[in-house]
Amino acid sequence: MTHLEQQIRQAMEQVAELSDCTLVEPIAANTLLLECGLDSLGYAMLVAQLEEDLGFDPFTELEVDIYPSTFAEFLAIYQQCANSH
Amino acid sequence: MPSLIQQLDNLPKTAAITCAGKHSLLADLMKNAAQIRQQYPQLCQRTIAINYTNLPEFVCALLAFDGWCSGIYLCPPNVSVPQQDIIHWPLKTKNKLTNSNLHTASPRSVQTTWYLATSGTTGEPKWFSHSFLSLTASSKHSHKLQALCWGLLYQPFRFAGLQVVLQALLSGADLVDAADYEPLAQMAVLKLGDVTAVSATPSLWRQLLMTGQLSELALRHITLGGEIADQSVLDNLKRVFPKAKLRHIYASTETGVGLVVSDGLAGFPVKWLEDPSQSVSLKVSKQQHLLVKPPHQICQTLSAQTDTQGYVDTLDSVAVKDDRVLFMGRSTGVINVGGNKVYPEKVEQVILQCPAISQAKVYPKKSPMMGELVVADVTVIDAGDPQSVKQQVLAICKNNLQRFEIPIKIKIVSNIAPDPSGKLNRKQQHD
Repeated sequence: MTHLEQQIRQAMEQVAELSDCTLVEPIAANTLLLECGLDSLGYAMLVAQLEEDLGFDPFTELEVDIYPSTFAEFLAIYQQCANSH
Repeated sequence: MPSLIQQLDNLPKTAAITCAGKHSLLADLMKNAAQIRQQYPQLCQRTIAINYTNLPEFVCALLAFDGWCSGIYLCPPNVSVPQQDIIHWPLKTKNKLTNSNLHTASPRSVQTTWYLATSGTTGEPKWFSHSFLSLTASSKHSHKLQALCWGLLYQPFRFAGLQVVLQALLSGADLVDAADYEPLAQMAVLKLGDVTAVSATPSLWRQLLMTGQLSELALRHITLGGEIADQSVLDNLKRVFPKAKLRHIYASTETGVGLVVSDGLAGFPVKWLEDPSQSVSLKVSKQQHLLVKPPHQICQTLSAQTDTQGYVDTLDSVAVKDDRVLFMGRSTGVINVGGNKVYPEKVEQVILQCPAISQAKVYPKKSPMMGELVVADVTVIDAGDPQSVKQQVLAICKNNLQRFEIPIKIKIVSNIAPDPSGKLNRKQQHD
């Protein structure tokens, strides 16, 4: 697991705790984001939290062509943005 | 103006409503509505509060009472109506009409005033009146529109939801209720219903895009409203549905104005400003607020916001950039979290209940997922453990606020300055 993936998973746990949500176990690469246990507000919080942790928000910086639907796609968008930083 | 039921009577075809897997023919709902009028003649010319039960019953009540009752309030759950002398629908057994509130009116048609609620700063809703004409100003009928099947993702007793319901009814299109589900379940309902037209907030569209299943629908009509539509979500939808009619709507419940933009670009063309050929006249004020002059009569509640020429201040901040007028958010400070309004004052008052907090300032943070999110700056009375203070604030917020109202971030700051206009910072009065 990359450091970036670890950070994302940690941030997901923080957001889940903050919003009284329970994450599913395990969250695999092909787990649908909307079935991870976070709702849409949870994802908005996650993106805000990651912006603070990582210093960037790929959804604002990159023109995201395709909205991610799985955990792997979400991670790939962050990886792509991290590479360009 | 003909009533809703009269207009449907004149349509070549009326459609069906699908709710929780059950189909209701509109023709049957119209018969039921006529029966209600026959069964309860004493309701004629009275004011009715429709309490939402389900979509077919709600539509049946609209059909029965528009053009029959003097006023209809569309009541969100747990919201009280401002008048005492009002009849609640559906009638409860214990509240059967008694002789004292019977009204012997002659059964003739009336122009009904519709009342819709917006939530207010103190949690009490504000009610805005509309005529049926103003509510249906943007509803259209054509053979193409008749062939559509609308998916309802908004609550039908709110302005945006009512627009979808009325558009479907008046165009003879089918309507599928998918309002009270999570995005994945909504997708399943929309797919099952072969929905071809959807109206949703940009935030909800992003969630539907995130399901990865949106392209399985054959959407021909796509509408975005209730929040600022950014270029990214418009581009994404255009990519998935290149042939669909893509419109984003600026609407305000207060003025009953709907501004439809269909060029796929965020904001609206600057040439619309002060263009007399527009159905709604538009201006930008010195404070960079959008002013609108609707063609219909506006609600009296807005008189203080109306200038001598009849332009109403929408209190929406705009910026003119190149040839577009872009929406920047509410000048009132109201935060829009995925279409849900958050009043900063309300959140600040809750935070100030925390004994450790001396001042609070709540403001929006831009979010690519939800449009805006809520964040708070606070000052503390004693410099103790910041983590513990944040936990206390969060606990109070969780007990007193809805989830979208809770600040996603609480920042402890040393000072909260008055706002740039130099107004006394109201939070200081709580010190």
